[in-house]
Amino acid sequence: MPYTSLNSLSSYRYGFHKPEKYFYKSKKGLSEKTVEEISGIKNEPDWMREYRLKALKVFCKKKLPSWGGDLGKINFDDIYYYIKPTENKVSSWKDLPAEIKDTYDKIGIPEAEKKFLGGISAQYESEVVYKSIKKALSKKGVVFLDMDSGLREYASLVKEYFGTVVPMEDNKFAALNSAVWSGGSFIYVPKGVKVDLPLQAYFRINAANMGQFERTLIIADSGSFVHYVEGCTAPIYSTDSLHSAVVEIIVKKGARVRYSTIQNWSKNVYNLVTKRMRVEEEGIGEWVDGNIGSKLTMKYPSVYLVGKGARGEILSVAYAGKDAHQDAGGKVIHIAPFTTSKITSKSVSVDGGRTSYRGLVQVLPSALHSKTKVVCDALIIDSKSRSDTYPTMDIRTSKTQVEHEATVSRIGDEQLFYLQSRGLKKEEAEAMIVNGFIEPIVKELPLEYAVELNRLILLEMDGSVG
Amino acid sequence: MSLKVNNLSAGIGNLCILHDIDLKIEKGTLNVLMGPNGSGKSTFASVLMGNPKYKRVEKKPYLSLNGKDISNFEPHERAKCGLFLAFQNPSGIPGVSVANLLKTSYQTVQRSDNTPSKKSAHNPALSVFKFHQELVLTAERIGVPRDFLGRSLDGDFSGGEKKKLEMLQAIVLKPKYAVFDEIDTGLDVDALKTIAGAILELKKKGTGILVVTHYHRILEYAKPDVVHVLVKGRIVASGGCKLALEIEKNGYSKWSKSKN
Repeated sequence: MPYTSLNSLSSYRYGFHKPEKYFYKSKKGLSEKTVEEISGIKNEPDWMREYRLKALKVFCKKKLPSWGGDLGKINFDDIYYYIKPTENKVSSWKDLPAEIKDTYDKIGIPEAEKKFLGGISAQYESEVVYKSIKKALSKKGVVFLDMDSGLREYASLVKEYFGTVVPMEDNKFAALNSAVWSGGSFIYVPKGVKVDLPLQAYFRINAANMGQFERTLIIADSGSFVHYVEGCTAPIYSTDSLHSAVVEIIVKKGARVRYSTIQNWSKNVYNLVTKRMRVEEEGIGEWVDGNIGSKLTMKYPSVYLVGKGARGEILSVAYAGKDAHQDAGGKVIHIAPFTTSKITSKSVSVDGGRTSYRGLVQVLPSALHSKTKVVCDALIIDSKSRSDTYPTMDIRTSKTQVEHEATVSRIGDEQLFYLQSRGLKKEEAEAMIVNGFIEPIVKELPLEYAVELNRLILLEMDGSVG
Repeated sequence: MSLKVNNLSAGIGNLCILHDIDLKIEKGTLNVLMGPNGSGKSTFASVLMGNPKYKRVEKKPYLSLNGKDISNFEPHERAKCGLFLAFQNPSGIPGVSVANLLKTSYQTVQRSDNTPSKKSAHNPALSVFKFHQELVLTAERIGVPRDFLGRSLDGDFSGGEKKKLEMLQAIVLKPKYAVFDEIDTGLDVDALKTIAGAILELKKKGTGILVVTHYHRILEYAKPDVVHVLVKGRIVASGGCKLALEIEKNGYSKWSKSKN
């Protein structure tokens, strides 16, 4: 264990005394040494260190995807792969870009949250609230930790499931995440336990939680239920240009997991995320995925229906403004018989933004009597903006029911005039049309997220048209 | 106190649809604009509300509301001044419920108005609550089922239901001047009576009203104070209630044949 002493060494060198307060920054670029350092600093078990090193080899071998958005500008040698969160924060409120501060004000984010979101405070001050929730959860046997703590405290569970739903070989960015992951959540819900309140990363947010390469693992044991909510509508300012997370979810027999995400990265970020659920017999897996900001998002939440009668649903909403490309959609693989799935995608492109729906539905010969439905609607606000649809249906049995609907629409002059005649400014009218368009998905979000999202769209529209 | 149209000529591109129109709608009166299909009635209604689709032939003032020149106002500014247009075929907005639109519209229109209850503005929760109470009651009164309010505007409403929803908006928004574009088309007798009753109610409250129609039918239930006849984009005759009866009997041929 050559790195066990690194903690004390680095804290000495940088003049920090409490281990959790130090910051450490790996050298730019990716090498075995970087990966070993990361694992060493976290004091990880050997198997994880080896896992990371193996993933690094896979990463180096894998090519960038040739489809989707333009990834050519990512310089993997110019990235810090591990930064203790105190380091990538901007140092003070006034260093934050004005438009981000402005947005916080307009959405009405409380001061403490603003500072956290702006990356100034590493500690979100809801620790007290979180503790009481945590107490209630642990009474039921529910584990809700950051991934690093999860690995420390529930090593055998993590070892059993880690990388089983999203293997490192899956794609280049899954491999990258497997090599350098940090933060994310670890959740275990015991048999038959229903968690009434949505678990929100928001409550538990702290230094360890967020990063460029989050890794989340959720295990819902038989008959359990949990709703996990990640992200927030306020723009997250990041000085890092690459965000590449992996989310793995195991839905056991008769369990149900819903995972809701709203992400609004700042406009310099590549957001390349692999999210997948494995749903066993009679289980239900649901993704609600909203993407607003970033430079390029490539994200296709997936559901593997491996047990008889399993159900999967994906609701995806994407909003691409100026210079943004949202390449989003969903993926469902029907493996077992009597499985059902539905993908609903809504995208809005405005002010030169680009949205792409990319979806795959695969029905294997074993998936007899399966049903699937795909609905994708695109709204294009102006002639500068663009939207494409890439639906793939791979159906290998005739005993199945497949539906696919797609629409592309523009805001009609008559619709605008109608709303304007009711007292709405042009930008307000456009925002109302956009909010109406995404309403079927937004209503699935927890109320406060839905309200914030609506307000955010109004702000975005106001800025883009004007 | 009136909505005054002064020497208006307008059209699309090079096509002139409306010619030299003068018209005055007094506060608290019911005016009717009649004319055959294609005479420019709907265009006129649309121009009053400031539809950017139509261009004026000359850029001179043509429209004043209670003495204020609103010729260059955008549609939303006109709405804030108290002008309202009930659409012949309201555009559906998917995902926007009737209640949501009305609430937004109400707040916007009220925000600009100085007269109505400034107090409620300080307590938005209260005003939203009151607003909903009033909305539900008004809807009931004109036979709009409560569940319609939560439905999206593009929903599966029949023609008649859409007209009632337009009327509902007029009542809730309390405009100073309201233009109803073919509000009577496609209504059964009961609905027609309800709509006519609502028009009279608005009139009583002081709204100056212009009903655009090519039928006489609605006038049986709501007697107009003034009738104008529009043929080929020109006002060819104006008069009282009798004029409408004459048209009912003889049609528009008398004017259609005359000079272009």
